[in-house]
Amino acid sequence: MPDNTMQTFNISNVIDEKLIALDLDVRTKEEMLNRLTDLFDEQGKLNDRDAFFKDVMWREGEGQTGIGMGVAIPHGKSAGVNKTSLAIGTSKNMLAWESLDDEPVNVVILFAVTEGDSDIIHLKLMQRVAMLLAHESFIDQLHAVKTPHEMLTLLESDPEDFDD
Amino acid sequence: MKLVAVCACTSGIAHTYMAKEKLRKAAESLGHEIHIETQGTIGVEDELTPVQIAEADAVILAVDIHVEKGRFKGKRVMEVPTSLVLKASKQIIQKVEESLKA
Repeated sequence: MPDNTMQTFNISNVIDEKLIALDLDVRTKEEMLNRLTDLFDEQGKLNDRDAFFKDVMWREGEGQTGIGMGVAIPHGKSAGVNKTSLAIGTSKNMLAWESLDDEPVNVVILFAVTEGDSDIIHLKLMQRVAMLLAHESFIDQLHAVKTPHEMLTLLESDPEDFDD
Repeated sequence: MKLVAVCACTSGIAHTYMAKEKLRKAAESLGHEIHIETQGTIGVEDELTPVQIAEADAVILAVDIHVEKGRFKGKRVMEVPTSLVLKASKQIIQKVEESLKA
């Protein structure tokens, strides 16, 4: 890999501490998705908040985004997004969510992807997060995170480091 | 055994790659060789080569959308939704093992 790619292939391209909200007092899926959408909006990642929210809810109707073990990965590929990003919210309360294991969730990772993102780095980082989520030991650690900084450090891990 | 697989989900953002990782882990833990092509927002990656396909004992299609199947003609193909791979990747590989024994 050329040096400039090495420098930019860093999770900070798609998420920072301002896009992480821990221990939210929310009660429903819609409330959580609204809070995370607000984070994107406040950080200038959206050019049309309503369009993005609508696209996320449309995707929710297309099939389960709960992946089991208390985690959901809603996502919107939307013209309302101007910079491909991630936001993560954890909830004090378990939230009803359509999930592969039919259980509620308390960790929500929202993916916002621009229409026709041609930035390979962004999409590769999204992929890497998805690959991390395939490992149960990663999910255990996700539930144990106490600070936004810890969350970023965890997201920096390499999927190869998890062998379960 | 030797396996090839294609993963492709509806939006091509997350499930495709989770399914890839689950399949890879499951196949390796059961002692099989697997090559996995992904078709997502980023485009096609790790495209299966004609040799990989020719040598494969079976094909797993973990797909929620239409993918071109002509290149797998004459092969044993198992098609499942990505959600099933996320839930039961080992069982899918075991099912392929059984079907090859039968």
